[in-house]
Amino acid sequence: MEYINLFVKSIFVDNMIFAYFLGMCSYLAVSKNVKTANGLGIAVIAMLLITLPLNYLLNKFVLQPGALSWLGDKFAGVDLSFLSFILFIAVIAAFTQVVEMVVEKFLPALYSSLGIYLPLIAVNCAILGGSLFMQQREFGNIGEAAVYAFGSGIGWWLAIVALAAIREKLSYSNVPAGLKGIGITFITVGLMGIAFMAFMGISL
Amino acid sequence: MNAKLKETILNPILKGNPITVLVLGICSSLAVTVELKGALVMALSVIVVTGMSSLICSLLRKTIPNRVRIIIQLVVVAMMVILVDQVLKSFEATFPLDKQLSVYIGLIITNCIVMGRIEAFALGNKPIPSLLDGLANGVGYGLILIIVAFFRELFGSGTLFGIPVLSALGYTNNGLMILPPMALILIGCIIWVQRSIQKDLQEN
Amino acid sequence: MNTNSNVYTVIYTTVVCVLVAAILAFVSSSLKPKQDANEKAETISQILTAAQFGEKSEWQAKGNAAVLDFYKQNIAEAVLIDASGNRAGELSAADAAVYGKSELKAQNYNVKDGKDMKVPVYIFKNGVSVIPVYGAGLWGPVWGYIALQSDLKTIAGAYFDHESETPGLGGKIKDDPAFRAQFKGKTVDFNDSKAAFSIVKGGAPAGKANAIDAISGATMTSRGLDEAINVWLGAYKAYLTKNPEE
Repeated sequence: MEYINLFVKSIFVDNMIFAYFLGMCSYLAVSKNVKTANGLGIAVIAMLLITLPLNYLLNKFVLQPGALSWLGDKFAGVDLSFLSFILFIAVIAAFTQVVEMVVEKFLPALYSSLGIYLPLIAVNCAILGGSLFMQQREFGNIGEAAVYAFGSGIGWWLAIVALAAIREKLSYSNVPAGLKGIGITFITVGLMGIAFMAFMGISL
Repeated sequence: MNAKLKETILNPILKGNPITVLVLGICSSLAVTVELKGALVMALSVIVVTGMSSLICSLLRKTIPNRVRIIIQLVVVAMMVILVDQVLKSFEATFPLDKQLSVYIGLIITNCIVMGRIEAFALGNKPIPSLLDGLANGVGYGLILIIVAFFRELFGSGTLFGIPVLSALGYTNNGLMILPPMALILIGCIIWVQRSIQKDLQEN
Repeated sequence: MNTNSNVYTVIYTTVVCVLVAAILAFVSSSLKPKQDANEKAETISQILTAAQFGEKSEWQAKGNAAVLDFYKQNIAEAVLIDASGNRAGELSAADAAVYGKSELKAQNYNVKDGKDMKVPVYIFKNGVSVIPVYGAGLWGPVWGYIALQSDLKTIAGAYFDHESETPGLGGKIKDDPAFRAQFKGKTVDFNDSKAAFSIVKGGAPAGKANAIDAISGATMTSRGLDEAINVWLGAYKAYLTKNPEE
């Protein structure tokens, strides 16, 4: 039940895009059509699922104050938390590169449809944001971290596919010249954000 | 000052503004624009971080191996961000500023402007122009931040820098302005105004 | 030199990472004492504000040294209390030792299970006792201090802080003096069947001594603060109802 609650909450209530505005840059840049948006969304889900549990372990066994106590009592007082940004981002960047190589080697079809979006993910705030929220919220175990990662990823995917669908339709509308393209997209996302606020406060 | 340097400095502020034209660094611009004070602190830190990381990456540009350049760039940016954070925290006078900033500090790392300028400019140019480019982009970003924050604080809370302005005249605060989606809609409007004046920026 | 060879790439990355880690470790360890001093003065100035010794912003202007001096002169003792309300230790008043946010966070688990709890009470010479509270707001943690008169029932004042509540909405728990001022003169009532103290959405019923109005537009933050206050008050219940005068 706890897991289901966390899952639903991370999709709708704590939606990465509409509640925290994380990963906005690629969200706006790659939402011109549903197909590519779908590809990027899936890539984000995958990266969150890989990096978040990994960073969870890193945080638990290396970074937290006292986390190094498994090395012996001498290390119990070590606090490496000032390194967390740098290690989290290093894990994310390294894995982006690894995933890119693996996909290229073994799944060339997927790579050709997705490949160009993979490098973009290293700088996607949603991925780093996920890890930072995980650190801040102190999940009890790795299962919770993974569920949170999956839920947040789905939420991001949902948001980008929805926006892409709206933008596809928008291209047939008569928008004032100055607002065409990115301007109307900003306003659309703002309205979607207001709609998503209706989910706030839901808990199962 | 020669024409090219002047172009380097002026372009990011108006014609190539990172937020309204390049659509970079949106995530943080939404979160910190509820109050002018926070927006100002964020703008200043971003200016420092973009300038310094562009300078360092430009100095290193001939030695960075191409395959790991994203990781190296992220490490440099993360280092600068952590340094700014640590220094701000250490002085009695700046400690309250850091408190204001602490939530957003992680967001500077994945602020696409920083990475974007390193990729697009610093890696191919000499250190001094890179430093200027970084600083100018920071300024262009800060400018939009402050415009948005001005309207959100004025109409959302009736104050400017915490000093009652509209609320002193019996204005009822518009709570909608404080909510994050309004930042998106405001940026949309700024884009509209800018593109109505600079017609060459309009999209088809 | 071939900057694309594997060996070069690996060596380069390692050197950069080690270098950066070394710089950061050096900076962080050399600035740590100053940062801790700032953090401590911040915590103490919040406690002082809750106990109605001046305003937070005034303390900030006076500087760290003034805050510490005043605290040392006016504190009677700072004791640690366990779950059954007994004294389980002491924080050195001479060093102006206090529980900062991270210690409160660590104790929050113990407070919730009621096991191994060790939480501070700051008792000032004028009889005011200050107890901390800690919990989750809408976006991140909220915490603060509630000052009680010597009867340990009447609230003398309060101060709250938060990590990332929305400025202008949830952020008002810290920024709006009017919200804090509501606490003054209210009481903590453990005989109330619902909650010892409540923050009521839509306004507290008139005449209710252990309730205040929630912040309109910040339901989740108010609810989180309400929970934080009640969970921590619950933890202190044994101590607060013991009547230490006897």
